[in-house]
Amino acid sequence: MSDKHVHKHDHQPSDISLRVKAVESLLVEKGLLDPAAIDKLVDAYENKIGPHNGARVVAHAWADTAYKKRLLTDGTAAIAELGFTGIQGEDMVVVENTPEVHNMVVCTLCSCYPWPTLGLPPNWYKAAPYRSRAVIDPRGVLKEFGVNISESKEVRVWDSNAELRYLVLPQRPEGSDGLDEAALANLVTRDSMIGVGLANTPGAKK
Amino acid sequence: MPTMFAAAGVDDLVKTGGSCRVSADVKPRFKPGAKVLVRNINPVSHTRLPQYVRGKRGVIQHDHGVFVFPDTNAVLNGEKPQHVYSVMFSARDLWGAEAPEKDKLYIDLFDDYMDPIP
Amino acid sequence: MNGIHDLGGRHGMGPIDIDPGQPIFRADWERRMFGMFILAFAGGHFNIDQFRAAIELMHPAEYLESDYYEHWLHSLEAWCKANGSLTEQEIEDRVQKLAKGDA
Repeated sequence: MSDKHVHKHDHQPSDISLRVKAVESLLVEKGLLDPAAIDKLVDAYENKIGPHNGARVVAHAWADTAYKKRLLTDGTAAIAELGFTGIQGEDMVVVENTPEVHNMVVCTLCSCYPWPTLGLPPNWYKAAPYRSRAVIDPRGVLKEFGVNISESKEVRVWDSNAELRYLVLPQRPEGSDGLDEAALANLVTRDSMIGVGLANTPGAKK
Repeated sequence: MPTMFAAAGVDDLVKTGGSCRVSADVKPRFKPGAKVLVRNINPVSHTRLPQYVRGKRGVIQHDHGVFVFPDTNAVLNGEKPQHVYSVMFSARDLWGAEAPEKDKLYIDLFDDYMDPIP
Repeated sequence: MNGIHDLGGRHGMGPIDIDPGQPIFRADWERRMFGMFILAFAGGHFNIDQFRAAIELMHPAEYLESDYYEHWLHSLEAWCKANGSLTEQEIEDRVQKLAKGDA
C-alpha cells in the first residue's frame, strides 16, 4: 500500500526501544515495577487471549437460541458463562447482525476494544484512518475490507467512547447447518466480530 | 503514592479487570425513547464527548446504568457517578443529506452531555 | 479537549493499513510498554481517565506520526514525572548509558 508521508518512527526505531528500556529499568530499580509481571501480562495477551475466545461465544450463540437471547440481553453475564472476563471486558454489549442491520465497532477517541473476547486490537483499529472514517463513511471503510452492504440495509456504527465494550455477533453463514460448535467457531473471524468482515462460509478459502 | 504490582497478582488482575460501573443510587435524567440535544461543551480538559455529536439531536436507546464520569475523574475532581446511555443518531443528522438514508450511529453519552428536547 | 485525538469525521487521514497477519506486538519494546502501562495503572500511578487525558496533550503532529504504544509511553512518563517517580534527566541519563552499552 502507498505511504505518502514518512513516519517519524522509521528514522528512530532504536530510540524508542532505548527509551522504553530506560523507563522500565528505572522503575524496576526504584521498586515500582516487577519485570516478571510484565512477562506474565505479555504471555497472557500474546499467547492465550485472542479472537478464538469471541469465536466460541459466537458459535455457542448460533447453536443455542436461549444463550443467544441471554447474550443480547446481558452481554457481560453471558460471556462470563464461558469464562471470558477481565480487563477491558468488564461491561460488554453484544450487537447482532441481521438481514436488516450490519454493525461495525470503532473507538474514535482512542482504541477501546473488548480484550477478553478479541485480544488486543490490530494496529489499523487504533490508527487515524479507521477511527476518523468509520463514523462518517462506514460503507467506504467496509469496501476497503472487501465487504459490500446493500443500500437497503442499515449500517449501524457503534462508537465505544465510554467504558462499554462492543462485540458484533455476525450472521450465521449459509451452509453451516449441522456443524458442531467447534466447526462453527472456525468460521468466525476477528474482523467479523469487529464488524469489518463477515463470517466465513464452510469450505470457503480465506 | 504508587506501589509495585507483583507478578503473583497478574492472573487475577487479567481475569477480573476493573469495571468503571458504580453502585450509586443516582436517578437517570432520561428514559429510552427520549429525544435529546447534545450539549455544545468544549472543555479544555478531558471529555469523552466527541465533537462530531455536539449540538446534534439523538434518541435514547438504552440506559447502561451508572458509571464514573471521565470528565471529572480525569482531573481528580470526583467520580460524579451518573447514567450512561446508548444514544442513536441518524447518519444524515450527523453528516448531511448525502449520507445513506438508513445508516445510524450509536454512541454512549453521559447525563451531563445532553439536554431533553420536548 | 478539542484535540487531534478527537478524530471522528475527519478527512485526509489516509488509507487504512489493513496489514493482515500483523503480529500482536511488532517489537519487544511494544511488549514492555504494554505491560508497564497495565502495571502502572494497577499500581495506582493514574486512573484510566488521567491516562487518556495525558495522551491527548501530545503535540498533534507527534500524536499522528508516532506509533501507537509511543502514546502510552508519553502518558506513563508524564504521570511518573508528575508524581515524582521519574525525572526527564534520569531518563535521558539512562538512555545514554544504554546506548553506550553500559547499563
